[in-house]
Amino acid sequence: MHDIIQQLEEKRAKARMGGGEKRIAAQHAKGKLTARERIELLLDEDSFEEWDMFVEHRCVDFGMADNRVPGDGVVTGYGMINGRLVFVFSQDFTVFGGALSEAHAEKICKVMDHAMKVGAPVIGLNDSGGARIQEGVASLGGYAEVFQRNVSASGVIPQLSLIMGPCAGGAVYSPAMTDFIFMVKDSAYMFVTGPEVVRTVTHEEVTSEELGGAVTHTTRSGVADLAFENDVDALLMTRRLFNYLPLNSREKPPVRRSSDPADRIEMSLDTLVPDNPNKPYDIKELIVKTVDDGDFFELQPEYAKNIVIGFGRMEGHTAGFVANQPLALAGCLDIRGSIKAARFVRFCDAFNIPVVTFVDVPGFMPGTAQEYGGIIRHGAKLLYAYAECTVPKVTVITRKAYGGAYDVMSSKHLRGDVNFAWPNAEIAVMGPKGAVEIIFREEKSDPVRIALREAEYRAKFANPFVAGARGYIDDVIQPHETRKRICRALVMLRDKKIDEPWRKHGNIPL
Amino acid sequence: MFKKILIANRGEIACRVIRTARRMGIATVAVYSEADRGARHVELADEAVLIGPPPSRESYLVADRIIAACKSTGAEALHPGYGFLSENEQFARRVEEEGIVFIGPKHHSIAAMGDKISSKALAARARVNTIPGHNEAVESPEDAVRIARQIGYPVMIKASAGGGGKGLRVAFEDKEAFDGFTSCRNEARASFGDDRVFIEKFIEEPRHVEIQVLGDAHGNCVYLWERECSIQRRHQKVIEEAPSPFLDAKTRQAMGEQAVALARAVEYQSAGTVEFVVGKDRSFYFLEMNTRLQVEHPVTEYITGLDLVEQMIRIATGERLAFTQGDIPLRGWAMECRVNAEDPFRNFLPSTGRLVKYQPPPGNGDVRVDTGVEEGGEISVYYDSMIAKLVTHGANRAEAIAKMREALNAFVIRGISSNIPFQAALLAHPRFVSGNFNTGFIAEEYPRGFSVTTVPPDQRDFLLVLAAAAHRRFRERAAAITGQLPGHELQIREDFVVVLTGPEGTLEQTPVAVVANGPEVLTTIDGRAHRITLGGALRDLVVRGEYDGTPYCAQLERVGLDYRIAHNGAAITARVLAPRAAELLSLMPVKAPPDLSKFLLSPMPGLLVEVAVRPGQLVLAGEKLAVIEAMKMENILFASQDGVVAEVAARKGDSLAVDQVILRFE
Repeated sequence: MHDIIQQLEEKRAKARMGGGEKRIAAQHAKGKLTARERIELLLDEDSFEEWDMFVEHRCVDFGMADNRVPGDGVVTGYGMINGRLVFVFSQDFTVFGGALSEAHAEKICKVMDHAMKVGAPVIGLNDSGGARIQEGVASLGGYAEVFQRNVSASGVIPQLSLIMGPCAGGAVYSPAMTDFIFMVKDSAYMFVTGPEVVRTVTHEEVTSEELGGAVTHTTRSGVADLAFENDVDALLMTRRLFNYLPLNSREKPPVRRSSDPADRIEMSLDTLVPDNPNKPYDIKELIVKTVDDGDFFELQPEYAKNIVIGFGRMEGHTAGFVANQPLALAGCLDIRGSIKAARFVRFCDAFNIPVVTFVDVPGFMPGTAQEYGGIIRHGAKLLYAYAECTVPKVTVITRKAYGGAYDVMSSKHLRGDVNFAWPNAEIAVMGPKGAVEIIFREEKSDPVRIALREAEYRAKFANPFVAGARGYIDDVIQPHETRKRICRALVMLRDKKIDEPWRKHGNIPL
Repeated sequence: MFKKILIANRGEIACRVIRTARRMGIATVAVYSEADRGARHVELADEAVLIGPPPSRESYLVADRIIAACKSTGAEALHPGYGFLSENEQFARRVEEEGIVFIGPKHHSIAAMGDKISSKALAARARVNTIPGHNEAVESPEDAVRIARQIGYPVMIKASAGGGGKGLRVAFEDKEAFDGFTSCRNEARASFGDDRVFIEKFIEEPRHVEIQVLGDAHGNCVYLWERECSIQRRHQKVIEEAPSPFLDAKTRQAMGEQAVALARAVEYQSAGTVEFVVGKDRSFYFLEMNTRLQVEHPVTEYITGLDLVEQMIRIATGERLAFTQGDIPLRGWAMECRVNAEDPFRNFLPSTGRLVKYQPPPGNGDVRVDTGVEEGGEISVYYDSMIAKLVTHGANRAEAIAKMREALNAFVIRGISSNIPFQAALLAHPRFVSGNFNTGFIAEEYPRGFSVTTVPPDQRDFLLVLAAAAHRRFRERAAAITGQLPGHELQIREDFVVVLTGPEGTLEQTPVAVVANGPEVLTTIDGRAHRITLGGALRDLVVRGEYDGTPYCAQLERVGLDYRIAHNGAAITARVLAPRAAELLSLMPVKAPPDLSKFLLSPMPGLLVEVAVRPGQLVLAGEKLAVIEAMKMENILFASQDGVVAEVAARKGDSLAVDQVILRFE
């Protein structure tokens, strides 16, 4: 018995050392923390329960038989974030470069299976050189086992990925299937094929950072949600994001009480929208002044800036915010923005998070780039997402709601529950100038008459009353009372329930 | 008394005049440009008249429109405020001719004081001290020595065409006067092509002290003590106070009497200000007379208990002064800080945009906020950058300073930059507190501009304790989340490490123990125990409470994972972590900030009016690169080092955002 205990302690000690002091020092020298250090930061102190510390690979080829490290390059288990349950796997780059073996994959699958059974999120900390080449197809099989579980868990439990080192080749598709991806600048990269293959095949010279670094994926590709300076920042912010999310799709999101009164008035919002309809303003000011304590957790802030997405709380309850941003592309919907928002709306819908939408949209982005790029199909994603969404939907039109984009942005017709408009809202097929140039085409050469027509059109449609008369708008509200009115609507909608007819799944225009 | 007056101004001074008029039961008319629709002065006034497009020369400076506004609204009188048309003799004359009362001096008084040279001659005739000097060009070094002896050393030898310190010599004895004259003339000839050189008395350690006077239409004239305005930055007043910490009763009286003599000499009928320069020997000399209400008049109002706008209105209706010199009290001490929309960390460049947050400290008997803006308002590029004045009053100077510090701590401005951090630093400066300063103070103490880098030792504990205690509040909120697993609830720890990022990214870690004890938090830092309370809600940027039994007020903002705290001129960005997290943080690499030296970035939002270089051009450090116009000011951007222009990224006429690339160097 004593022997066994001693052996156990030795094995534990060896497992804790991962790839050994030298490799740990090398990991630190690269500005990276070890797999265990990362878990320490991610979870509440002493809450981590580790599993499968003694798992080893079963490979005997290429000298691997004598090269075993308990744990096999990934640390798995569960723990708490602010007292709430979460499953974790953290790849250990100091052990075989974090390469994924069959056993390594089995460990990941095990925590994912458990997470599904008990209904708790999974957070994956990725830092891996890729497949364990010595194992060949067994490693590939391992990846696919993980992918399948990512997909099975999608929409059932939240899945979060942190990319904190290399993540290349097939490995990228596990995080790609999760709900949110955070990356660390300078030390993390994700790509399907690395710079060397790129050079051979396409003759492009590109560095890993340029090809798949945190900045690339948060500004150009939209693959990742947020980029952080270092591991510590990424892990601490993951804890913050976690606070907004329910543990699974059968649960409501957690509630965190706030001293911020639901009826807080913000007089300064009355001047947020400039007199000049062509002058932009920062929609984030509205969001920040609406949510509890001004705490807004924005996602993808540097990608498709024409639409803003993120989480906030209203009276302690999580809400997802989607807003057109007049500061970028006048707030137009384009391919990137539509996809960004659509995916976010679907996440909220899957996890019982009400969606609050602030609308100031002059329409879809025109141009060949957009049309050839398939704005029809991609714009449809956002329309589809809002239309299928059954969580509470509260919409405020702050200024422009023109054309098809009006329909898309959580309109009454897409089962918007409560739709408000600010007094200066314009809900119309298009802006007055464009409209009269079509309706009164024959008067186009007469600037005086056109100006008169424009004024006429503006008087008729550049206000919320036409839409109000049809009930498309439930009420016209003052900007300063926006928080109060949204809070009331959300409380009223808290037990909203819509039953949909059975179907296998819809066919969103992917 | 008037029934209705028009205020031909904007911003805080228009609001301030309206306040007094309202108290006196006089209806008010505001005028406004298109940029000022919905401005505070427009909302406060009973009526408002649009007088033109945003640029002042098309609105606030157009006499016809303002007079027309008086006529259309039936305003009997007009208060010009300061700036704009307030010291325009022709405007005052026209207003009078149109049968409207000008609430200010008569046009002839404005005219008499309008010209610097003739006003000096007039002052000399009224037996007011003027700076001794020789009003003709000096011909030879020998003459220079003779004249210098006549004036009395030290003397200043200056080139007629000089300026900004160029072509200027100071001589303390004959040889210096002899040599100084020669070199000054040579430099003048070379630099300006004008070798005329003058000599006048050199005032050592000069202070700017001005006397407030009040004269009525019946020949009565009094002085309302002085204002000390030596805290200036590039000739712009920054802090004013009354009385002056430097004057004695005798000098005060002598200056006051001379100021009154001058006012009488020009039949001055309103509030006016006679500016003097005061040397370190308390000798004083007339500089100029301002024939209007001054920005800094509130400090005089505090120490005398008078409302100067009310006095101006009463004088304008022909009333006699209701008091004589002997009746005028000098009560306590008053201080004023000008709150400007400018970025002290970017060489005080103007800052424009939306006031996302604007929460001045609450006014009370001893704290006065004269403000022209509101939260949600817009600071436009068209007008002066001063948006408010913060004025405090105390029994003595120390008390006035203490109240000012607290008021600055509570003044929240977001969306644009303000000079509040700089003001707070001045108020904390030992030399300012001692009262031993002159007009060179800011240039001497901040030769390389302003920055807040080091944490003052006497504030360190407080700032760190506040960060830790604030973090504890956020942890309490976090612990209140639902859905925690029984037995695993979040425990709020009692040992934190406060991490400050120093220069070059080095981390300074300080353990702070934090134990809640009812509403109070008991902390220990480096073995020292401190008690602190935090009032207000988490969303408030202003925290008030008690620190070791003494009330405090500070600003605290959570930005990402950090806390930004500002208090009494000191500022820190702190992160509060569990000890293990702090340990792991120290393993993180220090990343060098991106090299921006290859770029010329726009330091402020504004209009690019000129790009002075072309691609391929070699420029030397100090050479002009571009000109940006913002807030009616042209700001010239100079090369900070030698280099070759690779690319010009912005074009003349472009509207620039902060940090937008204007050009790139090779």
